[in-house]
Amino acid sequence: MSLTVRQFYEAGRSSLALEMVQGEEHLDRAVPEPAINRPGLALAGFLRYFAHRRIQVLGLAEVTYLKGLEDSERAARVAAFFGAGVPCVVFARGIRPLREFCESARRYRVPILRTHLITGRFVQLAAVMIEELTAPRMRYQGTMVDIMGIGVIIEGPPGVGKSETALGLIARGHSLVADDLVELRRSSWGEIVGTAPDVTRFHMEIRGLGIIHVPSLYGVTSVRREKRLDLIVRLERALTSEEEERTGLEVASRDVLGVPIPFIQIPVVAGRDISLVVEAAALDFRLKQLGHDAVKELDQRIMERLGREGVGSRD
Amino acid sequence: MPRDQVAERDVVVQNQYGIHARPAALLVKTAARFQSNITLEKDGVEVSAKSIMGVLTMEGYHGSRIRIRARGPDANEAVEALSDLFEKKFYET
Repeated sequence: MSLTVRQFYEAGRSSLALEMVQGEEHLDRAVPEPAINRPGLALAGFLRYFAHRRIQVLGLAEVTYLKGLEDSERAARVAAFFGAGVPCVVFARGIRPLREFCESARRYRVPILRTHLITGRFVQLAAVMIEELTAPRMRYQGTMVDIMGIGVIIEGPPGVGKSETALGLIARGHSLVADDLVELRRSSWGEIVGTAPDVTRFHMEIRGLGIIHVPSLYGVTSVRREKRLDLIVRLERALTSEEEERTGLEVASRDVLGVPIPFIQIPVVAGRDISLVVEAAALDFRLKQLGHDAVKELDQRIMERLGREGVGSRD
Repeated sequence: MPRDQVAERDVVVQNQYGIHARPAALLVKTAARFQSNITLEKDGVEVSAKSIMGVLTMEGYHGSRIRIRARGPDANEAVEALSDLFEKKFYET
């Protein structure tokens, strides 16, 4: 995903203590490579492998080095640095930008930012923030809960009882991540992470009641800000006998932002407590993750038994 | 109302591993398509053909004889469909 300097600046104002030094009118510049670079070598004159498409961060080392140069040399280095086409420059440790930077930045229409954080810390935090800003995202229709560490999205047609099922799970001590609409993103290590849209976070709609604030009713442990997605459970009013899984030997999966997520369908029939079924599904998934596949083991045992009986004559 | 059909047939488990989980699931899913009441009987023990646990408990090893019984509006068809699975070794070897 693309990133503009404005997005970086807005997101980093509180978390990275970013301040505007100059060039606010150039904030809509794109950051072609959403990453951080410390341009020490480029400022020392080695421009061959200069990662100029990234956000450039200068700390004490770079600035002290530049200050030690002859005026004309310094001006040339800084001009070459901007000439390469950098999208944005950040001074860490609250350092005041050198005069040459301010002048060149104006000429090349590059915004200059500043932070009081020390350079190493800033680079770390900025990398994480950029990762979040640029992660592939999507909105998913469904209700997400955390069932003992397993992130489950409950989906299904309107009115099938997604929120009621989630409420049943919350009442049994599990926690709500998002009701009805989940914001998903893919982390750099390939996990899908779900969270609620800011406005509706921790609220849910229960038909006949209206909107409730979950932590007010069920306590702080009844909600979670975000959770890795492990399983999608689809509630269906009626399944054909072909769709209904009877053993659990075959687990289907669904593609979410390029990552396959295990997917099961549960028929909703009157008199069935769906919360209990979804809870069991999550626990069974957990068991499989621990390398314990109950169905496969049962099948193994049955096959061994059938083999023994087949050989010996019974009567 | 049409009269209920009654049908039954004896079959032999022909696949090498017998009725383990996969064939059992196939049996149960096929049986569930019919309205008729369908049972499987082996060694005098009768189980519902629509219950996976029941079918697994039956222990249908290779070579064992099983009687399929159906009663209902589509009993003949049901027995035909289930016998066919036994005949085709549940698509196994």
